[in-house]
Amino acid sequence: MTQASIKSRGPIAAHPVTSAIIAILIVAVVFFAVYVPLYARATPKVGDFPFFYFYLLIYMPVVSIVCSVVVLLQKRIRAPGSQDGEVTR
Amino acid sequence: MSNVNYVTFTIVLVLFLIVTLTGFAAARWRRAEDMMHLNEWGLGGRSFGTFVAWFLLGGDLYTAYTFIAVPAAVFGAGAVTGFFAVSYTIIVFPIALIFLPRLWSIARTHNYITPADFIRGRYGSRGLSLAMAVTGIVALMPYIALQLVGIQAVLTVMGVGTSSTNTYLKDLPLFIAFLILAIYTYVSGLRAPALIAFVKDILVYVMIIVAVFYIPTRIGGWGHIFAAGETHLKAISPVTHKPNGVFIPTTGNSQLAFSTLALGSALALMVYPHAVTATLSTKRRDIIKRNMALLPLYSLMLGFIALLGYMALADKPTVASVKKAGGNAQLAVPYLFQHLFPSWFTGIAFSAIVIGALVPAAIMAIASANLFTRNIFTEFFKPDATPRLQTQVSQWASMVVKLGALLFAVELPRTFSINLQLLGGIWILQIFPMIVFGLFTRWFHRWALLAGWLAGEIFGTIAAYKVATPTTSHWAGSTDLEFGHTVYIGLSAFILNVAIAVILTLIFKAAKVPEGADETQPQQYTADPAQPPSPAPAAVGIGSTGAAPD
Repeated sequence: MTQASIKSRGPIAAHPVTSAIIAILIVAVVFFAVYVPLYARATPKVGDFPFFYFYLLIYMPVVSIVCSVVVLLQKRIRAPGSQDGEVTR
Repeated sequence: MSNVNYVTFTIVLVLFLIVTLTGFAAARWRRAEDMMHLNEWGLGGRSFGTFVAWFLLGGDLYTAYTFIAVPAAVFGAGAVTGFFAVSYTIIVFPIALIFLPRLWSIARTHNYITPADFIRGRYGSRGLSLAMAVTGIVALMPYIALQLVGIQAVLTVMGVGTSSTNTYLKDLPLFIAFLILAIYTYVSGLRAPALIAFVKDILVYVMIIVAVFYIPTRIGGWGHIFAAGETHLKAISPVTHKPNGVFIPTTGNSQLAFSTLALGSALALMVYPHAVTATLSTKRRDIIKRNMALLPLYSLMLGFIALLGYMALADKPTVASVKKAGGNAQLAVPYLFQHLFPSWFTGIAFSAIVIGALVPAAIMAIASANLFTRNIFTEFFKPDATPRLQTQVSQWASMVVKLGALLFAVELPRTFSINLQLLGGIWILQIFPMIVFGLFTRWFHRWALLAGWLAGEIFGTIAAYKVATPTTSHWAGSTDLEFGHTVYIGLSAFILNVAIAVILTLIFKAAKVPEGADETQPQQYTADPAQPPSPAPAAVGIGSTGAAPD
């Protein structure tokens, strides 16, 4: 019965906060890569790397972490009957 | 065969033979009861787990051409036309994370083999599905050809090839390599590149880690490498009377070009049929998600591969060799390796590039072949084709596609293949709305999407044709000026495409033009069936009876 009520509302409507966090994370991770003026600078140099190049390289592991967090959050939304309390609201 | 380093050559040859044996042996790997199903031959039994999928997707998306062309672009023109690839591979995964699991679920539920199968089922439109299939096949052909260009670059630097002036004799090694690839793909299907991808990725990782730590110590450290890059890019070119390139994009126009190239390419990458093929070959929905989180680690490597371009600029003998070879920047990385590595390690690095070409070429050929079989042959010529016949047609189609690409690579001038590849990206981006929007909403009208697609393709092709530089009169790049801003053509065509699709949808809905049947249901887009519904692909058009003919 619980599952049916969630289905009728859709997972996004049932978890507005988690869904919003997911959306913000994805928009942010794309924005901070695409908005070049933010990092198109030579300084501060990190080691011998100009900031522009350092930023893009360090971004990769960051994306990996953000995507992992998104996957975990999505799991919370999707898992029917899970114990986190949100599903049974 | 003068000036061939036999140590290097032998290592490349041995690794190539190992890969060939692997390719044939793959037919027995995870063997299915009946291989003569497209689910088996074309999608590896839809059974790959996270580990295999990571190698397969990585081997698929990061092609030999990436290893050659991205650093070549950085070598030639710096950040905007080259290093944007790093930004692009950053954003591709979060974006794909939104829609790829949905595509997986719906394809699993309905046993769709190709993205065009999904279009057919979602919109009940053969015309739209055909448009997608043709775009996919046409855009993949030059992409496969470019894999060959990557192999050619390595062979050229190795000095392999006969001295004959006949193009076919001169490229004999390339022909043989590709013929062998075509045969084991025919035999083993997607299992061959999936298994070979392990070899490829290990070699690529070894190559790049050694390059990143070893080369800077040989040529004066990272500070010197970046300084050499900056000096070259700021120098004024005698031909264009402008700087050679951009080291850091600080002007508004270069920043916009950088961003739109990254965004447009990222949107395009995951709707390429070969990316979809690798996606659909996985066993569970979670595997796709997990891979989207893991694959950026592969992109980190791409970042360093791109920097090989500056390393090549910092190494004087490499710059001299490239100049001697007619300024062909694609030879920069192979020359760099040859100059700085001992010959045995050069052999390993060259093998990584050659094998790195074979994996994506095989997957692309399989993806094209499946599109042809499912969405052209079965759809329009033989609706009652058995799974066995479909598999046979796909096997032969994959052969034809590879031979076509081979002729492409050998017959056409090299720059032409590269330009066609740029065009391919512009073309493929125009199928994004019908696939990705279709995964979320059925609001768009099928004919509006078709009209938007057509407009995007025409606009994109003409705009790309008009791009000129002082040295090239047409197809000189993939950015142009729109309202005074430098923008990636693919993205401006995409915006036009979407605008037309929205406007026409409103008009068609108001005029009550028939919508076409939709065989999918909302909950199927998040489904996670452990088993595909049936071992055989569903006959094309099942469930779409009653759809208005179009």
